[in-house]
Amino acid sequence: MTAVDEVRTRAAGLRTAPEHRLARFILAVGTIVVLVLVFRLFTNFGIFPVSWDIELADPIDRARRWLINNQTSHWLYTVFLNPITDAIDWGIRRLESILKWFPWFSYPLFTGLGLWWTRGRIAGALGLASVALIGVVDLWAESFATLALMSVSVLISVIIGIPLGIAAWRNESVARVVRPTLDAMQTMPGFVYLIPFVLLFGFGRVPALISTVIFALAPVVRLTEVGLRTVPQVTVEASEMFGATERQTLRLVRLPQARPAIFAGMNQTTMLAMSMVVIAAFIGAGGLGQVVLRSMQNIDVGRASEAGIAIVIMAIVLDRFSTGIVTADPGRDARAMRWLAAAVSVVAVIGGILGQNEFPESLNWQFAPYVNDATDWARDNLYDIANSGIGTGPFSDFVTLEFVTPLRELLSSDIPWPAMIGIGMALGLWARGIRLAIGIGAALFAIGFLGMWALSMDTLAQTLVGVVITLALGVPVGIMTSHNDLLRAALKPVLDFFQTIPSFVLLVPVITLFHVGRIPGIIASVIYAFPAAVHYTDLGLRRVPAEIHEAAESFGATRSQRLRRVEMPLAAPELMVAVNQVIMLILAMVVIAGLVGGGGLGLEAVRGLRRSDAVGRGFEAGIAIVLLASILDRLTRAIADRLRPPAAV
Amino acid sequence: MDTASQTAQVCVEGVWKVFGRKAREARAMANDGASREQIQTATGSVVAVRDITFEVAPGETFVVMGLSGSGKSTLIRCVSHLVEPTEGRVEVCGTELTQADGATLRDLRRQKMAMVFQHFGLFPHRKVVDNVAYGLEVQGVERQQRHERARELLDTVGLEGWGDHYPQQLSGGMQQRVGLARALAVDPEVLFFDEPFSALDPLIRRDMQDELIDLQLKLQRTLVFITHDFAEALKLADRIAIMNDGTFVQVGTPVEILTNPADDYVRAFTQDAPVAKVLQACTLMRPLDGAAIDPGWPLVSMTTPLEAVLPHLLGSTSPVVVCDEQQAPVGVLRGEDVAGVLVENRG
Repeated sequence: MTAVDEVRTRAAGLRTAPEHRLARFILAVGTIVVLVLVFRLFTNFGIFPVSWDIELADPIDRARRWLINNQTSHWLYTVFLNPITDAIDWGIRRLESILKWFPWFSYPLFTGLGLWWTRGRIAGALGLASVALIGVVDLWAESFATLALMSVSVLISVIIGIPLGIAAWRNESVARVVRPTLDAMQTMPGFVYLIPFVLLFGFGRVPALISTVIFALAPVVRLTEVGLRTVPQVTVEASEMFGATERQTLRLVRLPQARPAIFAGMNQTTMLAMSMVVIAAFIGAGGLGQVVLRSMQNIDVGRASEAGIAIVIMAIVLDRFSTGIVTADPGRDARAMRWLAAAVSVVAVIGGILGQNEFPESLNWQFAPYVNDATDWARDNLYDIANSGIGTGPFSDFVTLEFVTPLRELLSSDIPWPAMIGIGMALGLWARGIRLAIGIGAALFAIGFLGMWALSMDTLAQTLVGVVITLALGVPVGIMTSHNDLLRAALKPVLDFFQTIPSFVLLVPVITLFHVGRIPGIIASVIYAFPAAVHYTDLGLRRVPAEIHEAAESFGATRSQRLRRVEMPLAAPELMVAVNQVIMLILAMVVIAGLVGGGGLGLEAVRGLRRSDAVGRGFEAGIAIVLLASILDRLTRAIADRLRPPAAV
Repeated sequence: MDTASQTAQVCVEGVWKVFGRKAREARAMANDGASREQIQTATGSVVAVRDITFEVAPGETFVVMGLSGSGKSTLIRCVSHLVEPTEGRVEVCGTELTQADGATLRDLRRQKMAMVFQHFGLFPHRKVVDNVAYGLEVQGVERQQRHERARELLDTVGLEGWGDHYPQQLSGGMQQRVGLARALAVDPEVLFFDEPFSALDPLIRRDMQDELIDLQLKLQRTLVFITHDFAEALKLADRIAIMNDGTFVQVGTPVEILTNPADDYVRAFTQDAPVAKVLQACTLMRPLDGAAIDPGWPLVSMTTPLEAVLPHLLGSTSPVVVCDEQQAPVGVLRGEDVAGVLVENRG
């Protein structure tokens, strides 16, 4: 098919359906308007009736009390849960002491050497300096706690994940169970995982580890399966023709060829684990996350910044190392690894003899006071510049009063709840069909029955405001980068940097400028989701084949015509994927922002994790977050699918 | 064991391969003489290989020639049992593959057969030497021993010193040499070639063909060779099978196919064939039968290709005399006979 033909057929594909599509759209909008009017005029429905609350919190609180009382006596604990807890705890502690056994200077040294070798001199120097900085600001011990917890989590994720990926690849019925489970697991904000495990295990590192493993498991499973699936068939045939057994083919041919994909999965798993271990400070995981959390509670932005920077350094170093392994050149890097291993042992022995395993106190220097001064200055000078009504404070008030609050009011009470459910179902019907509509309806009813209607609408309102801001900023930038390779290359490291930062840490700089409330959460979420918006827009537009560009140009289309008539429609499904990703990221962040006064479901969940008498409510909020996330995810994905042109026959 | 399988090293009898869910219905329709398209529209199943029977003798080069979609690739996979035939019998080196269990099949593949693939099928994560040694590694041969053998074979295919490179660092022609070395490393009796040279440039393809001919003269293995290139088939084959729509249209020596094409489909290929290169003096000569020969007539040997005879015939009206290895005259070849064949082949 020539490019011109392709343009024509695609154009035809976009044109045939419209009568249907328009009719359905009008039907949907009409239904919504009628529903809202009917309910507003003839009934006094507003917020979901409080009396319908099934009060799930009570049995959960009772269960929690029972669990606490029986932790030392009941067989569930003595035979089953406590041994698991002890074993995991022992493992983490053991690893921590091994990590601490190495002399302190070996860490900056090896980071520097490793990055020098893989990425050049400047990266090496930066690596050395930044790892040393963690010790300088006196976060050495906390870093080891985080590193140990994270390493054990990643190890367990990999031990479970790779065989699970192999099983899913080998057996279609395993895959049919695993794939949707992983999808669901990735949909949920990591924060939500903490709640059930706290209920079961109490506070500490073990529930932190278990929720981290579950949160971080998906990429390694998925990419192991994908990697195995994409091994070229001809190499497998070649192996079979030499009489290799299935096990030999797996070990010698399939797994080695899937290795880059598996390593990429391990890299993603590591990054997810890093971000989760930090969030797990909420349930007593300790480490750097704990420092951030405690400092934020004490409004000690300086200390929070130090810990935040330590987390970012750790995340980036881990990312660079693990991507370095993916792109490793087998000949050269094997040699490098041998050198590095030799150097490690020499330095370790020297350090062991000298007993240099504590970071020397004489090197301590903290920049927290300066940050606190700057924060005070910002509060005094930027929050409301010269009392003129210009500054971050009035800006927050403006966004809150003009957008967030009205939208919240609109969603939670101005639109009667049955109309809200009707709208959700109509959207589902339009986007996919009756099954999605029923699913959305059921989920919304469940949110109501949990007594989480108003809070969910609050969270939804914050999310929507965040999504609109992110797309308004991100899509144009994505359009620009798709046409400009230089700009793209310049932005890439910045965007990569923001994607590497664990979500929680982003709150630190934002609260220095915007204090607490809903706005810092929304702004942090915009920063968090912005790279995804740019990336997927860029990706979608770049996927439009060059031939089609040329064909459109040959008809004399102007640049803006090309963008509107050809590129955007063709990239529409990818753009919808961008919307999906942005929504999920923003929801996750808005929920975490409950910590800084974000309100909504997040605040309820945070409270549930903090106070043992609020666990039940926190659990309900957790379920509501999961339901909300699922609705938004399914809906946006269904719309993305709708926009996809019909597949070739 | 019947007599056929004692003399033939590869023995294929009534093999069918139907892809799709409704294999049985498709098979029934095929029995009633339905065409491939009819079956596909009716059942959604594809009859890739349709009742194929042939034998290959030890040391013989059997070439299956067909265009893309003719089913030749599926056929070689049925014979090497990478694909289970829907029906029929395949015997290699006296073992019936269609009955064999996993272990027997594995043993047979380890000891007796090997395959060279169209897109080389090299392992990108292994060095060239480890690619070549793969078959031996699977058999459990010690590292040093298998590397020795692998380097020996790399020398044979002209790749000395390339063992420590990775396949993707080599050119296409070199990669296929690695593929060939890898197949030869296990010292197989039967070698399967699935369009091994079709991904190569024409000049490199010709070199590889010449080298394969040389190797085969030395090694005398049984070769089953798939190609879509009629000239390649003529050049390499002891016997050629022309395949179309899942069946063999004609099986015969290159000369038989050139001089006596079974139908228009085969004739279409022979028209562009380098007839003068393939046909030899002995094919077209008339037996002497004691007739007198003029001592002035030029002498040629039996295996002289027509293109070398033509200059003698074009210069004069007299015929040439064809002699056997002892230089004794056995036949005469006249200008009009040669012209007849060449003209006929031009259609």
